[in-house]
Amino acid sequence: MSYIMVISKRMTSIINMFSLQSFFLFLSTFLIAMELSSVELYVVSALILILKVILIPWFLHDIVKKVHADSNLGFYINPILSLFIAILLTYLAYFFTLRIMPADNHFDTIAFIVSLSVILIGLFIMVFRIKALTQVIGLLIMENGLFLAAVAMCGSMPFFVEIALFFDIFMFVIIIGIFVYRINELFTHIDVDKLNNLRG
Amino acid sequence: MQALFILLIPLILAILPAFVKSNKNNGIANIAGYTLALGIAVVLASHPSEKLLFLNFFYIDALSMYFMLTVTVINLATALYSTGYIQNDLDKKVISQKKARLYYVLFNIFTFTMLLVTVLNNLGIVWVAIEMTTLTSAFLVGFYNDKKSVEAAWKYIIICSVGLTLAFLGTILFYYTVSKDGGMTSLNWTDMVSVIQRLNPQVLKIAFLFIIVGYGTKAGLAPMHTWLPDAHSQALAPISALLSGVLLKISFYAILRFSVIVNQSIGSQFTGRLFIIFGLISLGISAGFILLQKDIKRLLAYHSVEHIGIIAFGTGIGGELGLFGALLHVFNHAATKALMFFSAGNIIKQYDTHNMHLIKGVIKTMPFTGFFALTGAFALGGLPPFSIFLSELIILIAGFTKGAVVASCIFLVFLATIFGALIFHFSKTIFGPAPEGAITEKVPLTTKISFLLLFTLIVLLGIYIPQYFGTLITSAAAVLQGA
Repeated sequence: MSYIMVISKRMTSIINMFSLQSFFLFLSTFLIAMELSSVELYVVSALILILKVILIPWFLHDIVKKVHADSNLGFYINPILSLFIAILLTYLAYFFTLRIMPADNHFDTIAFIVSLSVILIGLFIMVFRIKALTQVIGLLIMENGLFLAAVAMCGSMPFFVEIALFFDIFMFVIIIGIFVYRINELFTHIDVDKLNNLRG
Repeated sequence: MQALFILLIPLILAILPAFVKSNKNNGIANIAGYTLALGIAVVLASHPSEKLLFLNFFYIDALSMYFMLTVTVINLATALYSTGYIQNDLDKKVISQKKARLYYVLFNIFTFTMLLVTVLNNLGIVWVAIEMTTLTSAFLVGFYNDKKSVEAAWKYIIICSVGLTLAFLGTILFYYTVSKDGGMTSLNWTDMVSVIQRLNPQVLKIAFLFIIVGYGTKAGLAPMHTWLPDAHSQALAPISALLSGVLLKISFYAILRFSVIVNQSIGSQFTGRLFIIFGLISLGISAGFILLQKDIKRLLAYHSVEHIGIIAFGTGIGGELGLFGALLHVFNHAATKALMFFSAGNIIKQYDTHNMHLIKGVIKTMPFTGFFALTGAFALGGLPPFSIFLSELIILIAGFTKGAVVASCIFLVFLATIFGALIFHFSKTIFGPAPEGAITEKVPLTTKISFLLLFTLIVLLGIYIPQYFGTLITSAAAVLQGA
């Protein structure tokens, strides 16, 4: 799913893709919840559905509309090359995981590979896209990867940690939203590569 | 668990500005509150061998007490200093009444999150608390809401969040091995310590790598330090002091906690090497930037990178002596750097510029600040009889006796370079002809007390270490060695 995000050019489409990725996160959490029949995990997956699939993307769309951002994302690296790098990152994650994980546990290994590559791709999107908002989305993608790791590998973290995490992400997006507004007011654009007054 | 009142103080103070309108009263309330907090921390730390566990959620041992003490000391000094600083801003109409009150709210929430980190048992919640410190302090970095400060706040929040994401991955890996190999489904420090022997060393190594890179970003270890000079130079002077004096240390505290677990499982060599490498890189990079620096607050910010490097180096050397030196340095650097940022804040207000080439004759126009800036610069460079000299000496002795001769020599060369650069920069700004028509400064009483408090601590700890303080640090070092 992150592959599509790597190549997607427009702001709205990347947000939709984020939403879809979160939906898959919801599905996998839900399945694990059924398997372990744990009430906590059902609650967590419901929270994912509400926050990540619906609220956060809606919030992001709203920001995009309000700041009248030029919907072009701005690339440092073209889509094809980006896709290639993303595949390379996945391979790296695969290679890396095999070295640290005990070979007997297939499910954990695969889950870790997927989540690690999602984290790496999120990082890649943050670094190589110009718009401030895309950096936020990159970060959210990274956090999705983290959740997948937490949920799949550990059969869920202790419950209150998860709640705290959600609270945190929610706060985070709101605050980031405020900052994007401020940047927009002050600089009349949201291109991060022009934020270079402070150097040395 | 009376100790937890310490958490209530900043919370109450954070709500207070909603009712108290005047800056003066808010200032007084903050000073009183943090004096009380310091009192609690001092009393608490007088029994360093105790391990307090409360509701399985809060946990306090010597290490937490030590960091808590550092935070409260610097906070008291900052509360004293902020009153005058904010009043000055109000008089100059740089900020409105409403904004001044907002400052006190944010300042106290920020303090609350930092104190919270030190008393938590659950290392997952520690992560949440550290992320909260980023969010609250980001507003204080972007407080003036102009181009530069918003840019600094943006970089700060983004770079630190990425760092903390990696730290969280490390935490997950820790949890993975604790639950799979240790059979403990919890991230509580007390539970993790009880299953140390059964953990998977391979996973621990990787997890610690993520932890040191992740929390290291927040702690300002080079090469992940890039947000630090921006944030420190753009934040308000009292907040710069807090960021550099204690926030970096709080993040380092998290690394220390994890390193204890790794050390006991696979020996201290692995973490020791990492600490030494990151420490030396920090020293090298900061030495280069300090030589070429023009902006006075950025200069001090790179000094924070340097001193975090020194602390990491001391921790990496390890042993009783190395850890003692590193922990002592945590406190010494916090006190000295707070003094320096306060002086820099005053100087910048007087001259209205950050550029050191334009600041001349500070000692003539501002005798009070000038004196402390000069002695503070010497103290920061590591000259006797100031406290930083002592802790650097201890770390060096530990380094040479442990046989890390090459690393210690490199360490020494960087220290000498940085000392030279620092004295060069500061002697130029402090002496020299005073600008025409400059008015002599007026220093508010609270600011004076704040400066004197920090100065006394710096000189006192440079001459001898009181028994009380020595026992506390020794017990904290013992916690780090797994006692």
